[in-house]
Amino acid sequence: MLEPSLDLYGEAAERVEGLLVDLLTQSRARYALLIDRQGFVILHRRAAWAPKPPSLDSLATLIASNHSANEAIAQLFGEASFRETVQQSDGVGTYVESVGDKALLVTVFDASAPLGKVKLFTKRTLERIQAVLDETREAAPVADIGGSFSAHAGALLDELFGDGKAP
Amino acid sequence: MSTINFAAREINFKLVYYGPGLSGKTTNLKQIHAHVPVESKGEMVSLQTEDERTLFFDFLPLDLGKVNGFKTRFHLYTVPGQVFYNASRRLILRGVDGVVFVADSAPNRLRANAESLRNLRENLAEHGLSLGDLPYVIQVNKRDLLDALPVEMIRAVLDPDGVSPLFEAVAQQHVGVIEPLKAVSKLVLEKLAQRA
Repeated sequence: MLEPSLDLYGEAAERVEGLLVDLLTQSRARYALLIDRQGFVILHRRAAWAPKPPSLDSLATLIASNHSANEAIAQLFGEASFRETVQQSDGVGTYVESVGDKALLVTVFDASAPLGKVKLFTKRTLERIQAVLDETREAAPVADIGGSFSAHAGALLDELFGDGKAP
Repeated sequence: MSTINFAAREINFKLVYYGPGLSGKTTNLKQIHAHVPVESKGEMVSLQTEDERTLFFDFLPLDLGKVNGFKTRFHLYTVPGQVFYNASRRLILRGVDGVVFVADSAPNRLRANAESLRNLRENLAEHGLSLGDLPYVIQVNKRDLLDALPVEMIRAVLDPDGVSPLFEAVAQQHVGVIEPLKAVSKLVLEKLAQRA
């Protein structure tokens, strides 16, 4: 089965991208990411002044896994999950909020962004993203995913791995 | 479960390397990372203990390129093999599309192989999945051990009906590493085509 990580297409995706940009401007955070709970990046934005981010695949995977682990800890105490997840070092911090049950909103900030401000604007952005998702009535685009996709992808696998041995 | 991201035009698959402790799951990922061209791989992330045992998981993203306009990627994970890390193993299986079971050829690990397979079935069931419905291959690793058990004996324990593709390997020497990855990836794609 092939399912969208989040029902976010076309104009709705553009609106959410705009909300991520607003979040960065208002909170002075470095990066804002919308990731799914399996650790795949859905959308991301970087402040103009921010340094190049680390690998977003690694970041998203670690944050999603950490979030799952935190949920499991909360469940040991009979709670569904922790209300918020904040991590701070001297130089950088992350703030994570759940977007429904499929995605996470991640704000990465440095010492120049006060945590209170990051939390406030992340929560506001979360509400706005949720509103966009609730309003979205746009039909999901049709992707050409079938036999031709699998055949083409299989050919690329052959190209990458040859007859089984690595190049 | 394969996911499609229309916003970024990406299709993602999740493959998990499962098996008992020290069977060579991390070695597989390290070998893949070492041999796949730079443009087709991302950073490898390993969450290990001080003695280099997997604590949570290893992670390696592979980029296949664009297929029908979609960037197509396989995310490879290992689970920690040690018995007491079951909560971590269960978490890693969330959303899995295919499994490579890495078995150990050592005679004293036959029982550990069987236990790990039983544990895999249990953890998949927690996610509403069953091994029979999932693209699944077996890699019998450490074939260079002097006292390696016959492959037939290992298959008799792990796959008595002989239905799963099985590959012999010496992962540390990059022997038999790519074949199971390629096989399980193709099974995942075939399953996607059947369901489309």
